[in-house]
Amino acid sequence: MPVTQVVTPADVDELVEALKTATPQTRLLAGGTDLVRDIRRPGNEPDVLIDLTGLGGFTYIRLDGDTLRVGATTTFTELQWDPLVHEHALCLGLAAAQVGSVQIRNAGTIGGNIANASPCADGATALTALGADVTTIDGGGVATTRPLGEVLLGPGRTSLRHDEAITEFSFPALGPEHRSAFAKIGSRTAVSVARLSAALVVRFDAAAGTLADVRVSLGAVGGAAFRAADLEQSLAGRPADEETARLFAEGCVVAVQQSIPGRYSLPYKQHAAVGLAYDAWNMLALSPPCEPALA
Amino acid sequence: MTEDLQYVGGSYPVHDVAQKVTGELVYGSDFSMPGMLHAKLILSTIPHGMVKRVDASRAEAMPGVVKVFSHENSPMTRFCRARIHPGQDLAPHDETLFSEHVRFVGDRVAAVVATSRATAEAAAALVEIEYEELPPLLTVDEALASTDVLVHSTGNIAYESEFDKGERPDLEGAVIVSSSTSTPRVHHAALEPHVCIARGHSTGGMTVWTTSQGVYAARTVIAELLSMEYHRVRVIKVPMGGSFGGKTEYIIEPVCAFLAHATRRPVKLLLDREECMVATMVRPATWTTIRTACTQDGVLLDFEAASTLDAGAYASSTPDYSIHMCKKVTKLYRTPHYRHMSRAVLTNTPVGGACRGWGAPEIAAATEIHMDRVAAALRLDPVELRLKNMVEPFDTDLVTGLPLGDARVRECLERGAVAFDWAARRARPAGRGRLRRGVGVAAGAHKNGMFGAFPEASNMSLKMNEDGTFELNASLHDPGCGIVTTMKIIVGEVLGVHPDRIAAGEADTATTPFDYGTYGSRVTYVVGQCARVTAEKVKGRLLQAASELLKEPVVHLYTRDGAVRVEHDPERAVAYRDIARLSEMRHVPSIAASTTYYAVSNPASYSVQFAEVEVDTATGLVAVNDFLAVADVGRAINRGMVEAQYQGAVQMGIGYALYEHLDVDEQGRSGIDGFKNYHMVNAPDMPDIQVLLVEHEGDDGPFSAKSVGEIATVPTAPAIVNAVNNALGTALSDLPLVPERIIGALHAPEGVPACSSC
Amino acid sequence: MQLLLTVNGMQYEVEARPTARLLDVLRDQLGLTGTKEGCGEGECGACTVIVDGKAVNACVMLAVQARGKDVLTVEGLAEGGDLDLLQQKFVEYGAVQCGYCTPGMLMSAKALLMANPVPSEQDIRIALAGNLCRCTGYAAIVAAVKAASGHDATPAMVLPGEADELTVEVSTDPETLAIVQEVVEAAAAELTEAAAPAPEAFPSPDAPVAGPPAAPAPSPEAPAGSSDAEGGE
Repeated sequence: MPVTQVVTPADVDELVEALKTATPQTRLLAGGTDLVRDIRRPGNEPDVLIDLTGLGGFTYIRLDGDTLRVGATTTFTELQWDPLVHEHALCLGLAAAQVGSVQIRNAGTIGGNIANASPCADGATALTALGADVTTIDGGGVATTRPLGEVLLGPGRTSLRHDEAITEFSFPALGPEHRSAFAKIGSRTAVSVARLSAALVVRFDAAAGTLADVRVSLGAVGGAAFRAADLEQSLAGRPADEETARLFAEGCVVAVQQSIPGRYSLPYKQHAAVGLAYDAWNMLALSPPCEPALA
Repeated sequence: MTEDLQYVGGSYPVHDVAQKVTGELVYGSDFSMPGMLHAKLILSTIPHGMVKRVDASRAEAMPGVVKVFSHENSPMTRFCRARIHPGQDLAPHDETLFSEHVRFVGDRVAAVVATSRATAEAAAALVEIEYEELPPLLTVDEALASTDVLVHSTGNIAYESEFDKGERPDLEGAVIVSSSTSTPRVHHAALEPHVCIARGHSTGGMTVWTTSQGVYAARTVIAELLSMEYHRVRVIKVPMGGSFGGKTEYIIEPVCAFLAHATRRPVKLLLDREECMVATMVRPATWTTIRTACTQDGVLLDFEAASTLDAGAYASSTPDYSIHMCKKVTKLYRTPHYRHMSRAVLTNTPVGGACRGWGAPEIAAATEIHMDRVAAALRLDPVELRLKNMVEPFDTDLVTGLPLGDARVRECLERGAVAFDWAARRARPAGRGRLRRGVGVAAGAHKNGMFGAFPEASNMSLKMNEDGTFELNASLHDPGCGIVTTMKIIVGEVLGVHPDRIAAGEADTATTPFDYGTYGSRVTYVVGQCARVTAEKVKGRLLQAASELLKEPVVHLYTRDGAVRVEHDPERAVAYRDIARLSEMRHVPSIAASTTYYAVSNPASYSVQFAEVEVDTATGLVAVNDFLAVADVGRAINRGMVEAQYQGAVQMGIGYALYEHLDVDEQGRSGIDGFKNYHMVNAPDMPDIQVLLVEHEGDDGPFSAKSVGEIATVPTAPAIVNAVNNALGTALSDLPLVPERIIGALHAPEGVPACSSC
Repeated sequence: MQLLLTVNGMQYEVEARPTARLLDVLRDQLGLTGTKEGCGEGECGACTVIVDGKAVNACVMLAVQARGKDVLTVEGLAEGGDLDLLQQKFVEYGAVQCGYCTPGMLMSAKALLMANPVPSEQDIRIALAGNLCRCTGYAAIVAAVKAASGHDATPAMVLPGEADELTVEVSTDPETLAIVQEVVEAAAAELTEAAAPAPEAFPSPDAPVAGPPAAPAPSPEAPAGSSDAEGGE
């Protein structure tokens, strides 16, 4: 049986060294909650497993001026409880809190979540709404930063090369004028892969009483989380009221319909999107809690 | 109740709880012995076809691989995985160790035996199988319609039966109501995967360690397959992590024993979760149509039903299962006429068979959803309608002709309705907002053993040790629900000793006397009563010995706290320990007794369950907010365990109503490879369950106890479905009520989509 | 590859395949079979262990990831043979039926109480969300965890006194006692006579001293016997 070589870099330099000799069969191990099962399937054994567990240096959450930076090996538990995340990226903390179970959150990392590129990844939905960039390093020691949307290409597909490791996510930190939310519909309340998820970020102009800078990200429909750009534009400048909530919900339905036309799950998801939208809207707490019009 | 009981009715942990909380207990899956090999099954990837070629050359070339077996190098003797004894009716021998004619995705094609699990798994991936595909029959409709494609040469209907009892009265002016209910294929999902270990002996015998629920029956199947005399085959029941019927049948024991025999080494066959879900067994999917006629006041005049059950690829126990679907309604309701047709249909899908309730949950779902429809048609309250039709204590079951015994279901319903505040909750409006509330009720019936349909007896012996402790020798098969503890409590009560002073082991064909096993809800009622009778015999001998020592007539004596005591004279008592010693020294080596106990009756057990739900009309998710289970248990032997069993049973029933389903796609694949997409109720979603026990003397169980484990899950799902329908004003009757179905009913009542996954 | 692991406070050097899971090393190489495999995909929690104070699924963690960390398994809970408070409460509250989920439940609960000594019921249920149980419906388990955290939880079960709290049964009838005494003394006397060797059986100081009799060879066919049979032959 093929024997995998395990390399455990202790710092960035050793990581680069390991990436230098990476092949398409090389895999990077962060938390392992997705990877371990995969690499144990017969025929899937990596030639080299680069174990990122020893790299303490990539577990961090810090505010760097106006930018929030999250190290790739930061776990969901860390994201869930971090005060900086609560203040500057609440939707990411809410998403992290709903990934799997405590056991999964304790081991699973945001970098691993993105690299695994599940279309249902909760982390991806939140980071997409935050307009996140992904920084990577490769075997040549070159660091590259690009938008998340250029990394996540589709179900299980990223643009990451085999000698490339995610090191950091960064995005403009949300300020006191921002509100953000994350909502998800699974098959049950807790420990469920998302069937539909949404992250919502708004900047509320208190003086005008209107929404500015609306960002809507939808996940688990289509190949990867995406921004509903048309919907965002239609909501910008609107007051934070029930009518806006209704338009938001309608817009989510349209966005879902456009992303999975003819898919078997569309009849359900287009209706559930209404509930999802209202859940997310109510989390912003910009208006009294709203309910969808009755069935 | 009249008896003053010292131990019965208390709450005890399971007998091996200390070993379980310390992780010490060795379950079948933990088992290991020197020189043990590991087996990995290779399962069919197609739903129907013939295996044309098995190329094991690459696999067998791998270091550590002992051999690869398939139909090419193994006996093709047919067996029945559900057979209880040789010569039994309704035990179709339609399965072989490895299939040449594969009949479902998951059918056993081959097995690799190797020195480690990892090696076996890697080697299994290298075995090349060539199939010649045949058209698959993936639904019962396809199977029934097909005349040329057959799952088995005997035809696609595994079994058909019809019961027609009573006389149809004049139906003039009667209100006729029809309904149609479907229940899904679900999995038992016991936490421990299936496992078996076997070892051949150079003396020509075999020892098998199994989690099967009937070691003697398993032995007959294994011994016949391997052409061994039964006395050379020893089958031992090992500690196990749950079963719920999924380990009752000998699914992997025959193949494991064969591999051990063929390799002349100990072999362990441990399945992974995916294999358990697909390749062991499932609760069969069912479809039932019901048509009733009632008076305007809601009194049943006629009850007609037709049930179809998806047996899957092998008949297994589905013939008997399909019969039992016809034997539940008349335990619960009086009706002048009852007609029920039932059939089990073979398809190229996972094998259906024994699952908790044995047809009762399936038929209760249909019946109780139907009764709510009748209530709606007649504008009667659902509780009221049921009260008009429920059996009374000591009624006769119309179908079986057997007395129902002290049937307290009516009391369960009445007391439950009060405890649940049914009338007030039912009167509350569901609401017109996003979240809608509703309440529902359902009743169910089940049996207490096999008396009336099948031989029903148990054997055991009980002896006293020299220090006044006791040992019960019985073929107990405890899947984890406290059977061993129950026996200890019963014996302890009779003998006046704490249950911890009694040892009781589990089944081993070499050392414990014959008993059928754990199924059919027979254990408390039949095996438990056997324990009582045996203990009474030993008690009699103790009293006799004490009578000589104390020079008192037996009628003046009683047993308590490990001694025989003289009534009204606390100064005079002789300890069991001393009786033992004295007897031994007077050449009576041991105080012991054995019994063959024949069951004398088969009453019904009942449960009535009430649910309050809240439906999110935007997402289709249902939350169960409140739940009451009322149980006609006769007597709770281990009160805490009875309540605990109810809580677990309701968890299973909620899953049945709302979440769980194992469907197959057009390629016959289930797409469910584990718990990631097979959702059971977890702790956050589990409501608080109130359990109310209704206890009465009556019937012939130990201290009047009746069965608990299966009946507990019988009415759960329909209580929830009825509550959802109450909340939404819908008439949903296809389980599970996944969000798609709820949303579908709210938005497009005509075309409700079937289940789908993410 | 060689791995140095610390499990339940003890250091172990193990030789394991690089893709061996922590679960495999614990069970197959360290013989710590208390941690169970229920699904192999991190969904059921039967394999929950505590690594550096955090509950994780050992089935989706490679053994290499546990290097340099403290691993606590269910076998490490009972110190010096006494059950840990959580374990005791699981016993008292009837939180154990088949017991297969129990080690995982204990470890998730333990990790919770280590971080949050007085959790709410909601906290407990969320902490156990990744631990599936098919037998108990979770109620008794949640009650046990509450009780272990010092909450005034309503007991799901209350146990009668343990066997060793009961009075020892003694004969009290004077005549019987007399008979017993007489018989016991007579038996004791017989035994004493049989045990004492005749003086001439002792070897002289100069004779070679025989060693202790050889222990009987273990029978390979010894039956498994009792309910907690490990099945080993």
